[in-house]
Amino acid sequence: MPKRVAIVGVGMQKYEFRKEQTVEEMVFDVARNALENSHLSKDDIDSVVFGSAVDAFCGINNSDKVAIDASGGLLKPTMRNSTSGSTAISTPILGYTHVASGMHDLVMVLCYEKMSENDSAQAVFNTVYDEAYVRPIGLNVPIQCGLEARAYLHKYGITERQMAKVSVKNRGNALSNPYAQLPMKLTVEDVLASPYLSWPVKLLDTSPVTDGARALILASEDVARELTDDPIWIKGVGRGADSVWFMGRKNKDLGRLDYAYLAAEQAYDMAGIRNPMAEIDYAEVYDPFTYKEMQHCEAMGLCPEGGAGRMIDEGISLKDGPLPVNASGGLQGEGNPIGAGMSRLCWCYLQAKGQAGACQVPKDVNNAVANGWGGMYQYNAVMVIGRD
Amino acid sequence: MDDRVCVVGIGVVEGKAPMVDVSHKEMLFHATRQALDDAGLERKDIGSAITSSFDFLEGRSLSNQYTLDSIGGVMKPCDLRLGEDGIYCLFAGYMEVMSDPSQVVVVASVQKASERDPDGLAYQKLIADSMEPVFSRPVCKSVPNLLGLESVLAGMEARAFMDRTGLSEEDLAEIAVKNLNMDSGTKGSGPDKKTVLKSDMLSWPIRTMTKAKEADAACAIILASENRVKDLLNEPVFVSGIGWCSDKSHVAFREQGVSRETKWAARQAYKMAGIRRPDREIDLAEVSDWYAHRELLHCEALGLCGSDEIKGCVADKSFQKEGRLPVNVSGGLLGRGNAVGTSGLIRVAQVVRQIRGQANGVQVPGAGVGLAHSWGGIPTATAGVAVLSKW
Repeated sequence: MPKRVAIVGVGMQKYEFRKEQTVEEMVFDVARNALENSHLSKDDIDSVVFGSAVDAFCGINNSDKVAIDASGGLLKPTMRNSTSGSTAISTPILGYTHVASGMHDLVMVLCYEKMSENDSAQAVFNTVYDEAYVRPIGLNVPIQCGLEARAYLHKYGITERQMAKVSVKNRGNALSNPYAQLPMKLTVEDVLASPYLSWPVKLLDTSPVTDGARALILASEDVARELTDDPIWIKGVGRGADSVWFMGRKNKDLGRLDYAYLAAEQAYDMAGIRNPMAEIDYAEVYDPFTYKEMQHCEAMGLCPEGGAGRMIDEGISLKDGPLPVNASGGLQGEGNPIGAGMSRLCWCYLQAKGQAGACQVPKDVNNAVANGWGGMYQYNAVMVIGRD
Repeated sequence: MDDRVCVVGIGVVEGKAPMVDVSHKEMLFHATRQALDDAGLERKDIGSAITSSFDFLEGRSLSNQYTLDSIGGVMKPCDLRLGEDGIYCLFAGYMEVMSDPSQVVVVASVQKASERDPDGLAYQKLIADSMEPVFSRPVCKSVPNLLGLESVLAGMEARAFMDRTGLSEEDLAEIAVKNLNMDSGTKGSGPDKKTVLKSDMLSWPIRTMTKAKEADAACAIILASENRVKDLLNEPVFVSGIGWCSDKSHVAFREQGVSRETKWAARQAYKMAGIRRPDREIDLAEVSDWYAHRELLHCEALGLCGSDEIKGCVADKSFQKEGRLPVNVSGGLLGRGNAVGTSGLIRVAQVVRQIRGQANGVQVPGAGVGLAHSWGGIPTATAGVAVLSKW
C-alpha cells in the first residue's frame, strides 16, 4: 500500500527578471526558507528532488548538480525531473512517489529556473523542437500557442475580451503578492490595446521571462503528524501526455486538451472527488497565456467544458468569487520561471494553511488543486491537496 | 510479500559502429519492442513511461520529450525526466510501482553519440559546460582547444587513486585487457597488455585504450509488481535494493581518487537489500569502467574489495570471469562502448540476463545476486547502484 504524503513546509523568494543571484544562491535561498518554515534542519532531509526545465536557459549542463551543495542534498539521493512547464507539478509528483513508495520520509522538492542568462528565451524554446522536421520552421512558444488559442476560441466561442479579463484579474491579484514580478492595475481595454504577438495572443495575454525558485518539503504520515497538528495531504496526483507531434494528436484537435482531462480525472479519482466544481475550494491554474487558464479550468472540471468564458464573465474565479483561481496572480502576475511554476502548488498550500497573507481568499480552503502544463505542449500534471 | 518490484522485460539496442540508419527515436522504439516481446506484453499494458537524457549531449532542449511516442507513453500517466543517468529511470520506476502497484512501467534511455562531431571537441565543450560557471569553468581556458579536458581531469583522479593504492599502469592495462577481451565479438582475439600500454597517451595515465569509447545505444526495461507478473514469460528478477547519490560537483572542492557518491549510494542499496558483506553475498557485478582505473575505484567504493586488497585482486585475477567475484563479464564500457547516460541501464539489463541464465557465452554459473552500478562521468560526481536478485 502506498504511504500517505503531506506537505509540511514551503520556501519562497521574489520572482524577478535578471535576478542578481546565481542558480546556487537561488536554490540556497528557498531551501533555507523551506527548512525554517517547517522547523527542520538540512540533516533531517532524506533526499532532494530537483525540477528545472531547460539547461540552455542558464547555460549550465546538469545545472541541478551544481546546486547540490546549496540545496543541502550533498551525499544524499538527488534526482532531477524536467518536463518543461509541467515540471511545476511533475516534480512534486516525483517527490510524492519518493515518500509514497516508502523510500524516504522527508523529501525536499526544489524547482528553479534562471531564464535571463541567454540572449532570447524564445530562441532557446525553438531548440526543444525536433531538429529535422519542426525546428527549421522557427516555431516558438507564442507561435505554437497562437495556433492553439485560435483553435480553442473557435471551438468554444470564447472571445478575446474574455481572455483579457483573465489578464486583468491575475495581474490585479498580484498586487497583493510580495513575491510577484509583474503586478499591474489594468483595464480590459489596456489588454485589448496591447500588441499582438501571435494572433489572438497579445502581449498582455502572456507571462514574463522570470528568474526564481521555490521549495516544498514533503513528509510521510508519521513524520508529518509529529511536525504539525494540521497536515495538508497530497490527496490525488495525475499526469497525462499526448503525442509529442502536435500534428499527430489522438483527437486531431488542438482546441481540446484530451491529455489534461486525463490527468485531472486520475487526480480526482485518487482524491475521491466526484464534483470538482462543488468540492474544490481553491485553484491555482497554470496560466502562461490567458487562454491557457481558461482551457485548464475546463479540463480540471472547475467549469463546464466551453464554460470558461462565462466563468470569468460571472466573476466566479475572482479572489472573492465562489471558486477563486490564481489569487496569487498566477504566472501572469507573479512571473513564469518555467520549472519553478511550482509556485502554483506552494500558493495552494499557503491558502490551505491560511498563511497566504494579503492573497488569502475570504473562505475556508480544505481542497485545493494546482496544475502544470508543458512538455511538448502536450503534458499536463495535476495535484489535489487538502485536509482529511 | 507480493509487492516487490521485478524486472519483467529487457530490450537493448547497441552497436560499436555508429548507427547511421536509425534515429534515436527508432532505436528507442526497437528497444521497447524487444522489452515488450521479452515480457510477453503489449503497448496497451504499459501504464507509465519514464525516460532520461541530457539536453546538451543531445543538442536538443527538453531532449527526453520526443521519446515519448517511441516508448508507448502516449495518453498514459507518465513521468518524463532528464539530466540523470539512465539507471535513475530504474529508481524512479521502482518508486512509481511501489506507489501504485497496479502499474506496469517502462523505463528507457537512449544515446546517439555518433551525432556529435567525430573529433570529440563537442564532448569536451560539454564537460566545460557542466562545470560551475563562476569559479570552476574558467580553468578550462588553460587547456588548449579543450581537447584534452576530459583526460586531464580523469588523469588527475587516476593519479591520486594510484598513489593511494600502489597500483601501476600495468594493473590498469590488465583491467582494460580483461574487459576488451570479454566482449563476445573480440573474445580471445582482443588486444593484449602490450598493445594497451603502447596505445596513445592522452594524459598520464589515461590512454586511448584505458578509456571507453563512445557508442550508440538504447535500452528499455519493464518493471511491475510481483503479483502483477505471475503469468508472464520470464521468471521475474527482483529489484531488491536501490541507492543513488551525488558528491560536490566542484572539482576543486572534491577529494580526488575516491568515489564517495558510489560508497553512499551502495550503502543505501545494501541496507535495503539486507546485504552486510557485499564481497561475499554478491555473485557478480557490472560497474562503470569509463576509465580502467574507475573499475577498481568503484569496486573499492562498493565494498567488493578492501582498500588494501585492490592490487592483490588484480594480481590474483579476482574480478575475472572465473575469479572470486566476476566484474564486468559483459565487457563493460571498455568492451562494449560507452553510451553516456544509457550505459547505466544497460548494466542493469546485463545483470538481469545473468540472473536469468541467458548470458550466452559469458554466463556466470549460479548467479543469484547481481549488482549494477553507474557513474555519471566527469566533472560531476553522481552514482547509482541497484542490487538485483533471483529470489
